[in-house]
Amino acid sequence: MTKSIVSIRNLHKSYGKVPVLNDFSLDVYPNEVVVVIGPSGTGKSTLLRCINYLTPFDSGEIHLDGQKIDPRKTNLNHVRQQIGMVFQDFNLFNHMSAFHNVAVGLVKVKRVNRGEARSRALDELERVGMLQYKDQYPAELSGGQKQRVAIARALAMNPKIMLFDEPTSALDPELIEEVLAVMKSLAAAGMTMVVVSHEMSFAREAADRIVFMDQGAIAEMGSPSELFANPHKERTRQFLSKLGYRENERKDESDG
Amino acid sequence: MSIFDDRAAEVLQSLPYLLQGLGVTISVTLLALLLGGLIGLMGALARVYGAAPLRAAAAAYSRTIRSLPLLVILFFLYFLGSDIYEMSVFTSMVLALGIHTSAYQEGIFRAGIQSIERGQSEAAAAIGMTPFQNFFTIVLPQALRRCIPYWGNEAAIVLKDSSLAYVLGLTELMRRGQYVISRTHQAFLTYLIIGLIYLILTLVLTRGLSYMEKRVKIPG
Amino acid sequence: MDDQWAFFLRILPELWEGLKMSMYLSVGALSLGLVIGLPLALVKTYGHGVLRFVVTAYIEVVRGTPMVVQLFMVYFGLPELGIVIDRVPAAIIALAVNSSAYQAEYFRGAILSVSEGQYAAGRAIGMSQGQAVLHIILPQALRIVIPPWSNEMVYMVKYTSIAFLIAVPELMAQGQVIITRTFRPMETLFWVGLLYVIVLAILSQIVDWIETRVRIPGYQSDRRG
Repeated sequence: MTKSIVSIRNLHKSYGKVPVLNDFSLDVYPNEVVVVIGPSGTGKSTLLRCINYLTPFDSGEIHLDGQKIDPRKTNLNHVRQQIGMVFQDFNLFNHMSAFHNVAVGLVKVKRVNRGEARSRALDELERVGMLQYKDQYPAELSGGQKQRVAIARALAMNPKIMLFDEPTSALDPELIEEVLAVMKSLAAAGMTMVVVSHEMSFAREAADRIVFMDQGAIAEMGSPSELFANPHKERTRQFLSKLGYRENERKDESDG
Repeated sequence: MSIFDDRAAEVLQSLPYLLQGLGVTISVTLLALLLGGLIGLMGALARVYGAAPLRAAAAAYSRTIRSLPLLVILFFLYFLGSDIYEMSVFTSMVLALGIHTSAYQEGIFRAGIQSIERGQSEAAAAIGMTPFQNFFTIVLPQALRRCIPYWGNEAAIVLKDSSLAYVLGLTELMRRGQYVISRTHQAFLTYLIIGLIYLILTLVLTRGLSYMEKRVKIPG
Repeated sequence: MDDQWAFFLRILPELWEGLKMSMYLSVGALSLGLVIGLPLALVKTYGHGVLRFVVTAYIEVVRGTPMVVQLFMVYFGLPELGIVIDRVPAAIIALAVNSSAYQAEYFRGAILSVSEGQYAAGRAIGMSQGQAVLHIILPQALRIVIPPWSNEMVYMVKYTSIAFLIAVPELMAQGQVIITRTFRPMETLFWVGLLYVIVLAILSQIVDWIETRVRIPGYQSDRRG
């Protein structure tokens, strides 16, 4: 059996008395793309933020590359370098150009020398198709462009796994595709990814596994073809039919 | 030299005498705030709704007053008053402090008025309100609520600046403190007590206003 | 009118000396206030426990008491405890203490107005808390703080005038000397006031220019009311 890159075991997290993650366990294997779907408020974003310890959790364990992360012993800053994170609202550093957004982690965190940082940052910008915008500031970019730079920023740290927290839900519809295209090419290149997203085209095309999350736990899990064609649980079926409505609309557009 | 000797006791015994200055401090503060509020509100109206020349004049007034130290305004009015009208030092102080704060209150009121969404007055106009009704029943009540925290800061500044009235010989807190010091030679302790009194006053003022802010808050 | 002008030219050298002293006090107070105020803001925002409580109390006490009480405390009060300070440094210290509390609040406001996501994104690429504050939060907060800081600057320049109460020969004090000698209070105060207006107009212009220079392209187009 292959070793998992990230192993989440029995995660519990509540905000006050409201449980958000309820005994959540999941293993993510090398080169795998896991898409997490589910109703809003079921802890999908919290799950991602717990994986890189941006949000502390109540109990459970997270293993990165076979090593248990112990926040008291492990240097979390070092852990986070190995886990790329892409936020729903981009969170590009407002006061830095696209280039500096990508280079800052290399220079300040990884202490790479400036020449190397420069060439690597430019490479990453090229990979997401943003090289020509390298000197633009975030406020001068469209949402889709911002998100592509944010992806490049995370990639520059050379992470073992990438987490995407609803990367397209703050975008205008016409800008979604350019971000999805970047993500699909990453998946094709073998990047290990956990993606919280309701973009069914992406899930169908790029996902190895779909996780349907409900009330802080995995309600159902399987390959896209299994889960979409033949969901076992009523909750999954209901949820998919709601999404399906939107998906059919898209199909109509592309047919016409 | 310890500050807790006999003369220190004398300072503490002067506390009632000091506190008698509160009346002057508070009345100067309130009258100056009222005067500054009236001028400030008119200035704000001129700058938001006025014709171009009026706007420019109101802006020039605010800008100039904001660049003048209170002491300059105070001495100017003091000499002007004693030259011509035999104005009391109390009146000079109220006028100086009122004019000084008017420029700041103008800014606060203007920001408050401008923060009310255009849709509010459009909706009022749409149901047939006159501009006058519109301003006083729709815009101003909402604007004033938003002004409260900033106005509270300004009120605290006016209260503290009223201490400068002592230079004209007005027997408010600060002046009385100096009399106590010349008798006891206990500057540190006396200023400590005066500072404490002002601290309590400003806390009462700002806490009182934030209580009021909650009371008049629009639900939701 | 010619007479007024001649009067102005006659008193100008004295006023100029006073103005230089006022500027010296202002620069001293504002820079010392910044050096004290910025760390206070950081402690009040990110610190906890006793340290945070002490800093909060300091800010409340300084903001709750009159400038002139603070000045007299330093110049007349401290000598009783054996701390004797010359008038000019005493004025600078008192003004700086006052300014530090206000600057701390302005810096804190600016730090808090930088969105939470900026900090989270810094941490997500592996920055330590200190790095995230230093490289991500502060560069943005220091830009946002410029307009309120500019207000504070104007306040401080004006407040230097109370140094005349402890006989520091700044602009206001020079004016008083001239008034006692010439018995022309109105004219003297007019010229004194005008100098304050001119100097503050120039200083505000400089700060505005700096704000434009460091503005992030496309961002915070106009925050001024």
